[in-house]
Amino acid sequence: MAAIKHHKQLPELGAALLSAAMALPCVMGVAHAESAPEKGTLSFKYLDYKERQQIADGASAGYGLSDSKSGASAFDDRIRVKATASKLVLPINSEWSMSGTLITDSISGASPAYHTEALTGMKDFRRAVDTSLTHYSPDGTFTLGVNHSGERDYVSRGVSLLATRATENKNTTWTAGIGVNRDQINPSNRIVFNETKNGTDLLLGVTQVMSMNDIVQFNLGYYKGHGYYSDPYKIYDERPRNRNHETLQTRWNHHFSELNATTRLAYRFYTDNWGIRSHTFDAEWVQNVGWGWSAAPAIRYYTQTAAKFYVEADPSLSPFPPNPPMGAQYFSEDQRMSAFGGLAFGMKLVKQINLDTKVDFKFEQYGQKGSWILSGKGSQGLAPFYARSIQVGLTHAF
Amino acid sequence: MTTEVSKQSTHRLHFKAMGSACEIVLAAESYSDVQAIAQFAIDEVLRIERKYSRYTDDSIIAKINQQAGKSPIPCDDETWALFQFATQLFEKSDGLFDMTSGVLRQAWDFKNPTLPQPEKLQELISRMGWQKVQLQNQSIRFSQEGMEIDLGGFGKEYAADRAANVLKEKGVNHGYVNLAGDMRFIGPKPSGEPWMIGIQNPRQRNEVIATLPMSHGGLATSGDYEKYFELNGKRYCHVLNPKTGYPVNYWRTVSVSAPIAVLAGCTTTMTMLKEEQGLSFLESTGFDFLAIDSSGQFHTKK
Amino acid sequence: MHNRTFGILAFVLVTWVMQGCSMIQSVEPWQKGNLAKPEMTFDNDPLETGYKEHIYSSKEASSGGSGVGGGGCGCN
Repeated sequence: MAAIKHHKQLPELGAALLSAAMALPCVMGVAHAESAPEKGTLSFKYLDYKERQQIADGASAGYGLSDSKSGASAFDDRIRVKATASKLVLPINSEWSMSGTLITDSISGASPAYHTEALTGMKDFRRAVDTSLTHYSPDGTFTLGVNHSGERDYVSRGVSLLATRATENKNTTWTAGIGVNRDQINPSNRIVFNETKNGTDLLLGVTQVMSMNDIVQFNLGYYKGHGYYSDPYKIYDERPRNRNHETLQTRWNHHFSELNATTRLAYRFYTDNWGIRSHTFDAEWVQNVGWGWSAAPAIRYYTQTAAKFYVEADPSLSPFPPNPPMGAQYFSEDQRMSAFGGLAFGMKLVKQINLDTKVDFKFEQYGQKGSWILSGKGSQGLAPFYARSIQVGLTHAF
Repeated sequence: MTTEVSKQSTHRLHFKAMGSACEIVLAAESYSDVQAIAQFAIDEVLRIERKYSRYTDDSIIAKINQQAGKSPIPCDDETWALFQFATQLFEKSDGLFDMTSGVLRQAWDFKNPTLPQPEKLQELISRMGWQKVQLQNQSIRFSQEGMEIDLGGFGKEYAADRAANVLKEKGVNHGYVNLAGDMRFIGPKPSGEPWMIGIQNPRQRNEVIATLPMSHGGLATSGDYEKYFELNGKRYCHVLNPKTGYPVNYWRTVSVSAPIAVLAGCTTTMTMLKEEQGLSFLESTGFDFLAIDSSGQFHTKK
Repeated sequence: MHNRTFGILAFVLVTWVMQGCSMIQSVEPWQKGNLAKPEMTFDNDPLETGYKEHIYSSKEASSGGSGVGGGGCGCN
């Protein structure tokens, strides 16, 4: 087993004392860096996710599915997902560890056939498995991962490799990763048959300790894929057979010693060859309140431009979807390809029950509206969309 | 790793250092190998003893103590690192772990069971305080005359860690260094089984009250039975609280297992010094421990 | 227009990074107590990160940021 109890496995005082002692010359020897965790961990998390969509008011008569006089804002239920995830991390010896994650989703509800219209019922069950093996050496780590997920009409398989390398003082860590995915699509409506989607993604990152209370991370991502990207369940959906995207993400965690709180900020820029550009801003304030409890309110703002081939909604044509432009090679009336802004508010509570066990609870409310876009004109004629998610989790080290 | 096992047998070498009986236990192919390898480790222990002893005139500690209240003494990297560590401990123990508290020895003679005069203790306390030590530009200076420091708080444990490291570098994978009960383990027995270490009964010299399996890391024990006297039915031991000048008396013995011997040693000392608060301190470190309080009750983690 | 935005962003980022580099403080191992806290670590709750990435990438056009691999799904 590992000679060093992983810093993050010791409670705060132990970890601080260990850090201090390790600074003495020649007391530690080779196993100075990250080594396999000494304890295994088992985690569970349950998710209950529910979407709903606002039905347009009487001003656009005929557009919508219910009697608009029934209330100022009536809602239609969309997708409901109940998922359970379990993750097991097991050290094999001081140099190797492995992990396995199993997620099962049960999805039910309705989804629009075009824009936010014509909700169609659906029900599906998805199971995803992710396993990985990590090797620890004095300067860094190597992780090999394999993932597989399957649902009635979609199978995804992938392999990934991630390497990390830290400088001598462990204040800078470089990360490089590559992942390859091969997916198979067989929609139940048989619009297409045995379609595939293959992609490769690359990651390059650096994590830098800036001070005793600051740590920063930069990540550069690149994805290139080809295959079937259209959504077979949507009317008028024909997307390009290739997709490339680049992301630039930066994160910063800052600890306020006097307040016993930490801010976690993140920004991600995304751009792809479909003409979509997005910005994501995340901010969280983690406040320790004593007796092992912490509360963390969080806010997330997202804004994206529409895909080049997105066809704007036209409520005047209701109940018929607008035709794509004459001669257009690519077109989509999927709300997710439109221009909009999204705002989410969340709260996470964590209670450390004892040295080995903690429980957590998270509530998040998300809304999406064309008018919430950061700049430019958001897509029109789309009913505001809301989702709430509740997560309950347990982690235990053994 | 396993193919070497059958050719190795366990050897014990005894030597004397730091005023106590010490031993090095290791598995090697032949006895001559063992002698040669162990000598490197013994040399390292003796080097540290000479450099940081209170007694030898050419030790750096003696030089620093002689210059108390006068000019700063430049420190080499090793010494500087030890002082930085001492500062960390001072801060994390709210001043209980204080390397300047050695002067209290002038008031307590454990061969002579008499209580010191309160005025004497106050005078000594006025010459203590790590906050009066000036550490800058890799030099140390005491702002006051009559101040003294010594590495008694973690010197033996530091030597155990360094000696064990020397052995590791020489290719030893199974064995440990034992400096009068402060131990650092390099690896389990050649068979893979841990070493079974007996913890002494604090009230019965030759009796063992518990056996701890150890393969890696450090193990240290502090107790009220190493140096003490009893007067009027009360025990006065050698662990002195720097704020009162009097010995602590809440714990009979504390043993801690931590990744490094220095860490185990500081934790046992701080637990003794914190008396009633020692238990919650121990638990918040996350290290494995075994302790017996003054009523004879056992406390353990693991 | 895509290239111009990227160019501006890259310029801002490089300037910010160079400024940031001068602010890097050397932190010794014994000073890393706060950095070891779970809330100071990135991705300290992998199951939560997994759910978050899954939910948002199925409702928005963007995906990715800090990981590689991870499965796809036929999310609607």
